[in-house]
Amino acid sequence: MAIAPAIALASIATPACSHDGSALAGGFLAGFAHPFGGFDHLLAMVAVGLWGAFLGRPLIVVLPVIFPTVMAIGALLAMVGLRLPPIELGIALSVLLLGGAIAGAVRAPIWAASLIVGIFAIFHGFAHGSELPSLADPLAYSVGFVLATGLLHVAGIALGLINRRPGGKMVTRGAGALIAICGVYFLYRASMG
Amino acid sequence: MTGGPFAPALLCAALGFALAFAPRGSVLPSLLGLVAAAMAMAFVPLAPAWRETAFLVCWATLILTAAMVHLPGGPGPKLALALGVGAGAAGGAIVSVAGVASDLLKALPWALLCVPGAWLVARGQGIAIKVASSWLIAVAILAAALPITPTPGYEPDHMQ
Repeated sequence: MAIAPAIALASIATPACSHDGSALAGGFLAGFAHPFGGFDHLLAMVAVGLWGAFLGRPLIVVLPVIFPTVMAIGALLAMVGLRLPPIELGIALSVLLLGGAIAGAVRAPIWAASLIVGIFAIFHGFAHGSELPSLADPLAYSVGFVLATGLLHVAGIALGLINRRPGGKMVTRGAGALIAICGVYFLYRASMG
Repeated sequence: MTGGPFAPALLCAALGFALAFAPRGSVLPSLLGLVAAAMAMAFVPLAPAWRETAFLVCWATLILTAAMVHLPGGPGPKLALALGVGAGAAGGAIVSVAGVASDLLKALPWALLCVPGAWLVARGQGIAIKVASSWLIAVAILAAALPITPTPGYEPDHMQ
């Protein structure tokens, strides 16, 4: 059973793929690195997972499922050339509000939490989509940034597991407060921008 | 990355995730349907003009298949078989227009993700499969959009 994924991985790996001179590595790596390249993206992604873990089932599943899907739609909007309000403000607000929700232990109903995360996902997706490189491999770039985003959510959920320990909720709320403070800074920087 | 085994492999992975939630008895018929349909379609000579259509169908099939992880109780036997045949036909068509027959050997094993997936589901960890499926859906949405939308290229980053 355990070797099934190994067989699948081995079957698709091509030994020369990192040396063939194609844009594959650059596209994927650039996309994967993008969410890690800015603390605003990174903190928002982690906050989504952390808030989901704080809210428990079903939102621990729903939020990380909604975010990448809506984010892809946001990227699509960027690719067709739609204009949105300043993206930096939306992203900074996402960091501030998601951090604030964790710090304040806000137990939003399912629809509200989904709506909030969905709206912010559009801004993050829009930022990624407007930067999709046309010269590199855009599909590989997309795979990279979706994977990185998902892994950051998982990191947030993993951090949120500390809630189960005594005093864990205070630690989580403290982390949320730190994220919110960063959000204030991002918002200040974006408004000066 | 658009040619070769990549798109069929993602499609097979999506099928594997969906089958992780299916009744155990319906997995093998679905996998056999996948292999049979893929091999049949891979040898159907499709005109190059069908390339974009084949990819669009592939991504749409992937989104539909990956979304099945959210079906209460998972896909039943008939649906699982239909998903397998559909994934095979869509993947085979990609191989026909944008790859070589050996690409199937690299793509089809990804459907075996149903084995560790079912193991996770049986232990109440199906959440991981659902999250991973949403990643596949996101990639498919973007991949489907890329050929029909002009990408802006290297514009200044919002962080720059």
